[in-house]
Amino acid sequence: MKQTALLSMFLFIFCCFAGGAQAENTLKIGVQAPITGKYANEGQGIDQAVRLLAEQINAKGGVLGKQIEVVSCDDEGTAMKAAICAKNLVNKGVKMVIGSYTSTCAEAAQATYYRAGVLQTTDGTSDSLTEHGYWTFFRNSFPNSAEGNFAAKYLVKEKKYQRIAILSDFSSYADGLGTAVEKAVKNLNGNIIYRGKIKSGAQNFTPVITQIKSKKPDVLFFSGYFSDGGLIRSQMVGLGLKADFVGGDSNDNPDFLKLAGKSAQGAYIINVPTPELLPYDLAKDFLKAYKAKYNMTPPSIWTLLNVDGMRAFIHAMEQNNSFDTKQASEFLHQMKDYPGITGPISFAKDGNRIGSGYMAYRIEADGSYKIVFK
Amino acid sequence: MDIFFQQLVNGLTIGAMFALIALGYTMVYGVMKLINFAHGDMVAGAAFVGLTIYTHIMGEAASLLAVIAIFLLTAAVVAFLGILLERAAYRPLRNAPRLSAVVSALGASLIIQNGIMLVWGPQMRIFPELIPQVSWEFGGVIVSLIQFLIMGVSLLLMVALYLFIEKTRMGAAIRAASIDQDAARLMGINVDRIIAVIFIIGASLGAVGGLFIGLYYRGITFNMGWQYGLYAFVAAIMGGIGNIPGAMLGGIILGLFNAFIAGYVSSTWADAFTFILLIVILIVRPTGILGERVAEKV
Repeated sequence: MKQTALLSMFLFIFCCFAGGAQAENTLKIGVQAPITGKYANEGQGIDQAVRLLAEQINAKGGVLGKQIEVVSCDDEGTAMKAAICAKNLVNKGVKMVIGSYTSTCAEAAQATYYRAGVLQTTDGTSDSLTEHGYWTFFRNSFPNSAEGNFAAKYLVKEKKYQRIAILSDFSSYADGLGTAVEKAVKNLNGNIIYRGKIKSGAQNFTPVITQIKSKKPDVLFFSGYFSDGGLIRSQMVGLGLKADFVGGDSNDNPDFLKLAGKSAQGAYIINVPTPELLPYDLAKDFLKAYKAKYNMTPPSIWTLLNVDGMRAFIHAMEQNNSFDTKQASEFLHQMKDYPGITGPISFAKDGNRIGSGYMAYRIEADGSYKIVFK
Repeated sequence: MDIFFQQLVNGLTIGAMFALIALGYTMVYGVMKLINFAHGDMVAGAAFVGLTIYTHIMGEAASLLAVIAIFLLTAAVVAFLGILLERAAYRPLRNAPRLSAVVSALGASLIIQNGIMLVWGPQMRIFPELIPQVSWEFGGVIVSLIQFLIMGVSLLLMVALYLFIEKTRMGAAIRAASIDQDAARLMGINVDRIIAVIFIIGASLGAVGGLFIGLYYRGITFNMGWQYGLYAFVAAIMGGIGNIPGAMLGGIILGLFNAFIAGYVSSTWADAFTFILLIVILIVRPTGILGERVAEKV
């Protein structure tokens, strides 16, 4: 009896504290990103950019009178940590989550956000992300299928490669992109002579590259991330494989150049424009503020795409004059061409961003990018 | 057929690196009967130390002399850390139950790994292109300068180590200590000194391995020691832990096996097959390929 009394007292106190926490007068925004690990520079970019935008909005009086409070969670780029982060952020009472950088992590977390009614925006490009029908989910980048179609057009129609090899890793993003390119190349009657997968982070890719070399390809399309792509390019050259290298969007990172060293020259990368090439005033202002605050440029376009997702969410809440996420989601599905840092933003019914702005770059001897196809 | 020989070269390159690192495991085990789980993290640390020496002390001068200097300086720094590790983590537990020393080794591994993260940050750091990308073709088989260097330097170091162990007084003392520490002590051998020497040699060889990883693969991360440590550990077990030529053989076999599985079967299965091979070897020869059958002390 005494124990029950004690227990109920504890429960009462606990509820008071929990209630007190909920009454805080801030809008909590979660960041789920790989702040450490292989993709740390991308994750840190997202976290820094979200904090910068929150600061800018707070300086102007916040959202509907509430100040933004950013809560970050490091998912390390792994699915397991992503699921933990999702639970954590939901428990902390966030209204929206920006992230994660990888499709694998976004996918591992998205059901938790859906059940809690928390809005999520990610730059993950795996097509499967938007196939679950979650009203909470919005993609701020363009799906793999869009990139697949563009890449296939470039490989088959523009460069006229006769023997195409495709290599992915096992992540939902890379595998999805590899499959999308394969499908699109076949639709254009292209000739695929090899389709394989590597283990991301394995570092030693010489056995696989030797095997690919024996099939005498004209081009190797790699759909994984820069941390492997740079090494693959370097080991290709080291093993005397003379085929061209075309990398998917996630190879677009300064570290690709460092890893590949001199071999980077002549490699092609397919992506939406790099931050510096964005023609919009919003982009120029944001880049300037980012440089001023952090003394560096954002690691890649993915940082800015995520910021656009966050801007769209906040815009929806302001227009609805409410923090209700269901209403915001309905608004976002109707929204047409909201001006974004990376171009106009509209969302399809399934949460996909509408449009596609892909380009193909060639890496020049001095490490600069030259647009060769759009 | 040239594909086969190319895979052979690929496998020998990584095998040489595994062998260098495996020597650190096997030598410490030989004398102390302790698996030094922190060895892999020392290897990772060596890569970071080397990179720092290059960028901060050498002022990014790229020449053959600079490369040699980096190797020597890094080996010296890491050897010193090896002695420190032995003093702090293992010597106080010399007479404690063996399990305590293993737990201490795992703790040291975590401390070194997190130490690297605190000093150099969590993101991938990238080695500059110190070894020029030159390669030669021998009948369709391509060997690059860096692969050639890795195989050559590793072979040289292994031969030197073998001669040191077999032909010198210190080597004889090490062999004696590995058979029976107490008896060796009674014969007037300073076992503490032997153990210090073992840690110096093991750590320096690991440092060379770590620098090769950095030079060959370019990207280094604070937690990469675990992966290479595991491979080298498996190599040491395969060859017969405690046996020096066994660790070399184990490393080479592991590298070749990895390359052939990755090349002919699938790169994703390489790890799984590695452990299947280890299990098969341990079933057929429980003491490893070159391990001697030692009567269990009861």
